[in-house]
Amino acid sequence: MTEERRDFKKRLQKFTRKALKATIKGIVFYGIYFVLSMFLAPVSEMVPSFQQMIEVFVMVYIFLMIIGELTAGTIFHHFFNGAKALFVILYLIFALNGGIVGITVQNVNLIVDLRLFLVVTMLLGLLGLAKSVLQAINFLNKEQNTYTSKFS
Amino acid sequence: MKILIRMIGIATTIFWIFLIAFFVSAVYSFKDVQFDFGEPQIGLASDNKILFSLPITIDNKGYYNIGAFNVTTEISDYEGFITTRASTFIPVIAKGRLIGITHNFTMDIEDLLQNSRDYLFNDTELEVRETVSIKLAEVIPVQASTNLSIPWGAPLYNFTLGRIEYVGFNETHMVATIPISFENHASFDLTDSIHIGMYNSTDILVSEGQTTIETPQNTPYHGHIELNVPIVGITENGHFDVYFLTPFFNFGPLVIPYD
Repeated sequence: MTEERRDFKKRLQKFTRKALKATIKGIVFYGIYFVLSMFLAPVSEMVPSFQQMIEVFVMVYIFLMIIGELTAGTIFHHFFNGAKALFVILYLIFALNGGIVGITVQNVNLIVDLRLFLVVTMLLGLLGLAKSVLQAINFLNKEQNTYTSKFS
Repeated sequence: MKILIRMIGIATTIFWIFLIAFFVSAVYSFKDVQFDFGEPQIGLASDNKILFSLPITIDNKGYYNIGAFNVTTEISDYEGFITTRASTFIPVIAKGRLIGITHNFTMDIEDLLQNSRDYLFNDTELEVRETVSIKLAEVIPVQASTNLSIPWGAPLYNFTLGRIEYVGFNETHMVATIPISFENHASFDLTDSIHIGMYNSTDILVSEGQTTIETPQNTPYHGHIELNVPIVGITENGHFDVYFLTPFFNFGPLVIPYD
């Protein structure tokens, strides 16, 4: 009974630590977004959908980040990190319309060519995905070693 | 493996920070770049085309240089036929610099007249497509374009030849006085040489003459031309062939019947 209680307490402590880490990470990420959004305010004034696009991105990214942190120490942590990297790539491709963004403001057609930016973000996203895959392989390798050493 | 993963993680984070910081600062600094388009001036080019000059001032107070600044003007008629296309290009506008340029483009009325002679005699509109493109921080291409309609004032608006008045000159000839009237709605002064050929009902050229007129912009013209006509050639009706010779265009014949 005491063993069970101690185990539960340990798990709760571990979970609380993860939750705290996830919360801090989420707050820091949102803080960075908040500061950057002030710099991007002129664009948001011109393009109302820009703010919404960024907000959706930040929300989903923070959600995946929190889930990823809560599942730390499991294989799901790496899955969510991979999902986060894939989300960044896919969201930017769709949101930036393949890199050519066109808007019309008071009879003026504005076209911004963000293909170079998109390529760089995609490469960084792929690097993040590669890192998650390597982390997952490393994690499974470690688990396998632990399992082998336990039963040999 | 762990070291490799950590290296990838550190590299990715550094690149993300650099990319986001660069992108945000490039966009943010664009608000400190001022473009000022002045009043367009209209003049005459050396090749007798109408010259439009658009003064542009660019004050780059941003954090980065601006690359590949390009202004393009396209003028087309109402059928979409492009009569004028001109570009002004500046490779780099360094940060902190104030640059003043003049975007010049010329328009040849002869090109307009190839499609329709209405541009000489009727007021209409021309389509102008103005495109400005730059590279933010010499990396991010941005293009802004707009379509405008500018009024076109006809240089020979409502051109008419009045009723001929004959006055005896001698036994064989008469002096025919033909009133000429029109309004110069164009944005330039018109120095025009009008050549008129008078044909009788049997299509025989009975007389011809030339007159030079000067009509400042937006003013009407009322004048006349006198032709020495042989009495035997005069018929009740016929037609005039009118030719216009100006520094901007040559046009003719404009056939105007008389009776």
